[in-house]
Amino acid sequence: MDFAISSILFYAFAAMALICACCVIFASNPVTSAMSMALCFAATAAILFGLGAQFLGIVQITVYAGAILVLFLFVVMMLDIRTEEDDNSFSVFSSLVRMAPGALISGVFAALVFLAAIKLPGADEWNNPLCRAWDSRGELCVGRQEPAASTATGNYGGALPALSPAAAAKTLNPNISNEEAAAATSIPDVKLLGQCLFSQYNVVFVILSFALLASTVGAVALSRKIRKD
Amino acid sequence: MSLFDSIWNWCVDLLSNEIWFYLITTVVKLVLMFAVILAFVVLSVWIERRVAGWIQDRPGPNRAGIPLQLFQQFGSKEKQPLKEWLHFFGIPESCWIAKLCTWLRLDREIPTFGLMQPCLDGGKLFLKQELTPSYVRKVYFTIAPMLVLGPPMVAAAVIPFASGVTTKFGAINMVVANIGIGPLWIFAISGLSVYGLTLAGWSSNSKYPFLGGLRATAQLISYEVAMGLSIIPLLMVFSTLNMQDIVQYQADNGWTLLPLWGEGLSWQRWALMAPLALSFIIFVTCVFAEANRTPFDMAECETDLVGGYHSEYSSMKFASFFMGEYAAMVIGSALVVTLFLGGWSIGFGADAALHSVSSWLAVVCQFIMFLIKLTAFIVFFVWVRWTLPRFRWDQVMKLGWLVFLELAVANIFLTAAVLYFVK
Repeated sequence: MDFAISSILFYAFAAMALICACCVIFASNPVTSAMSMALCFAATAAILFGLGAQFLGIVQITVYAGAILVLFLFVVMMLDIRTEEDDNSFSVFSSLVRMAPGALISGVFAALVFLAAIKLPGADEWNNPLCRAWDSRGELCVGRQEPAASTATGNYGGALPALSPAAAAKTLNPNISNEEAAAATSIPDVKLLGQCLFSQYNVVFVILSFALLASTVGAVALSRKIRKD
Repeated sequence: MSLFDSIWNWCVDLLSNEIWFYLITTVVKLVLMFAVILAFVVLSVWIERRVAGWIQDRPGPNRAGIPLQLFQQFGSKEKQPLKEWLHFFGIPESCWIAKLCTWLRLDREIPTFGLMQPCLDGGKLFLKQELTPSYVRKVYFTIAPMLVLGPPMVAAAVIPFASGVTTKFGAINMVVANIGIGPLWIFAISGLSVYGLTLAGWSSNSKYPFLGGLRATAQLISYEVAMGLSIIPLLMVFSTLNMQDIVQYQADNGWTLLPLWGEGLSWQRWALMAPLALSFIIFVTCVFAEANRTPFDMAECETDLVGGYHSEYSSMKFASFFMGEYAAMVIGSALVVTLFLGGWSIGFGADAALHSVSSWLAVVCQFIMFLIKLTAFIVFFVWVRWTLPRFRWDQVMKLGWLVFLELAVANIFLTAAVLYFVK
């Protein structure tokens, strides 16, 4: 069994993300929870970096750790923390009832994610988690429309983007030859993501933007004090 | 075979290995970049005080030097080093060289123009008593200064300080991490220093630091939005996020704000000048706000917040906040220089000409050029601080959300229109 350094880093960051996620739940101090969440986001971003998805990783840090979580911290700090820490006065039964819906929803969600994960191509090759998406096809899989691996590895194989730089270069520009594509050294992930978002998912993207805009306008309208005079 | 030969061969073998070559060059670049940033943190403190003195019509710290009395301890007591030196070359003590040396205080100390002052300040802060109040939240109180100082150092990794060279072992690109998301990396990582300010305010467990921390959070997040939007026109023109490619484009086709050679001479390029200049103004103002410096230093506004988030800090922890602020200023300046003022490029086609002579010569000249530009922009940064009065809190928020955000969004559409109709 030989481990690549990238695999070791993957497992280190994955463990860090899991431990931090547990800390978010079990920490009694809300600020510690928020800071563990920031570390969890950082570890997830590191995993994305390892996968070559630098843009997604940096967006994870900018948006979640840099903006949303800071606002969480902003709100949490203004709460009275001592009342939160001493809030253990519920009986066992009532706390079970309070927890049950949350546990049910998150359990179903976790099961779905787990099912999806074990059906990914190369999910059985646990000692090499970062390279499988393109390696498991056994050849340089160019493009991602043809369901080359779906029959062998499950439902999700054909829909996965190929992670080799050569395949990425070929996806961006179908006219270049295989030799030219093989000379590519890095994945142009920003371009690939942009191309994907603004062609295949353009309608969904625009609808989501309008939903966000509507909620922003709504939040401003709700929080605004209207003067009587 | 001699010992030196075998050591030499071992080094060649080591460098011939692709992985070791990559590791060694990266570590060397890392150390160089780190040294440059730290040196500039110290230098910008000195620049700050000298420019402040210049603006307020006083000398500023110009005295701290290396006194030659220290060297006299080892030599004879009566002979001054300058006189000894003049006698050695047979120069009379009344000639103009001797007078010039006396005017430069060479008879008393090695002239450093006060450059020793920041080192002495640092030494003083190291030796001061460390005082942690009993009512603070210890863990967060301790990690807050680290979270302010750390991010700017990490963010420096993507700033290119020269072009590349090709050695016989492989190519070296003069940037620590040549990744395809350059400016975003700097925004993301330096944006994390807001945690330090917020946690410092909260963990101090007293009123004024807490208000300072809240102000810092609100201000940094507000200006990050406008800052991110303001460089989109630039990225539309460059159509890449790789910093080295951005600088290479400027070296070939004219700096963003000075398109005087290459493609930059075309009228299409000059038609883009208006949106690019607007995004320069928005971006530079946002860099000022992000660095938490005087027109925007709401978080440490002495008049209404005592000392802001660092009121309860002392000794080196207090100094870490200031080093973090200066490091953020250096990184901000480096980013402005890289995006708008051509980064390492010397300009007017000199880069390509130097490369045709020797690529090592080109790299050294470009590195010096980068440092000159960086110093010039830091001087500008300091100049603004000592010229403009501090804004009021509501003015800062209004400027960020009602002026810069709208202008930045409108600027994106303006650039798109210019690019569509002109190119």
